[in-house]
Amino acid sequence: MKHIHKKDDKIIQLVQKQLGKDVNAEVIAEVSLHMKDCPDCHIYLDSVKQTINLIKNIDVNTNLPIDVEKRLYKSLKLEMYK
Amino acid sequence: MEQIEKELIQQAKSGDSTAMAELVKQHSSNIYNVGLRLMQNESEAEDVLQETFLIMIQKLDTFKENSTLSTWLYRIATNIALGKLRDKQNRQSDMDLDELEFEPLTGTQLLSWPEEVNQMWKDESIQSCMKAALEKLPESYRTVFVMRDLEGISVKRTANMLDLSESNVKVRLMRARLFLRDNMAKNLHCIEANA
Repeated sequence: MKHIHKKDDKIIQLVQKQLGKDVNAEVIAEVSLHMKDCPDCHIYLDSVKQTINLIKNIDVNTNLPIDVEKRLYKSLKLEMYK
Repeated sequence: MEQIEKELIQQAKSGDSTAMAELVKQHSSNIYNVGLRLMQNESEAEDVLQETFLIMIQKLDTFKENSTLSTWLYRIATNIALGKLRDKQNRQSDMDLDELEFEPLTGTQLLSWPEEVNQMWKDESIQSCMKAALEKLPESYRTVFVMRDLEGISVKRTANMLDLSESNVKVRLMRARLFLRDNMAKNLHCIEANA
């Protein structure tokens, strides 16, 4: 599988195929084989995965701030539940 | 659905404001977080929160309990957020799919990221880099990224909710991931240079 490493080129398609969950086993096998022989693709794919994991890690749920909660109950005309 | 929540819903449907307030308390943090992820703005997330629960109070009697209350509320909140994002896009003419710029993959961009990056997510500078990267992402891409990668909504449902084709969702998701990756790469480089 010959490709030039420019964005929007094969590498994008390869990363997309590798990260996508809707491709068949044949495509995954083809891409995996290519990744073994292409360090650039491998590095790029890893860094995309790292980015997604980092964002998931920092995306922690925050508790509702008390002032936001007070305004919420006021707007709903409800007593805050104790 | 848990029996306690079922009972609360029935009580709230029959006009028990204490039960309604308890339902609000149980689900408000989750809805606020969904709003924050989609809107990337505390004030707008608060609007989504208030509007979601206003609708809950007005329409709870139509809730059929085929799904959980959290799913029902999530759908309401997402629809409200998407409506607001669409309004903003109309006003700001959001970037088109082809306008996201990608630089050639050369030189330092292809260096492996340090192994410790995976452990660096608690670092405040990394967190601010990630948030900055997410904020830079045009809304139409960020919405797809949030719904697919953070909320875990299926491609089909994301496509339905955003009124996009499934292939368009996949393209936007991949573009969003690559955009975030590239911004992170630049930010990581900045951190190393400033260290």
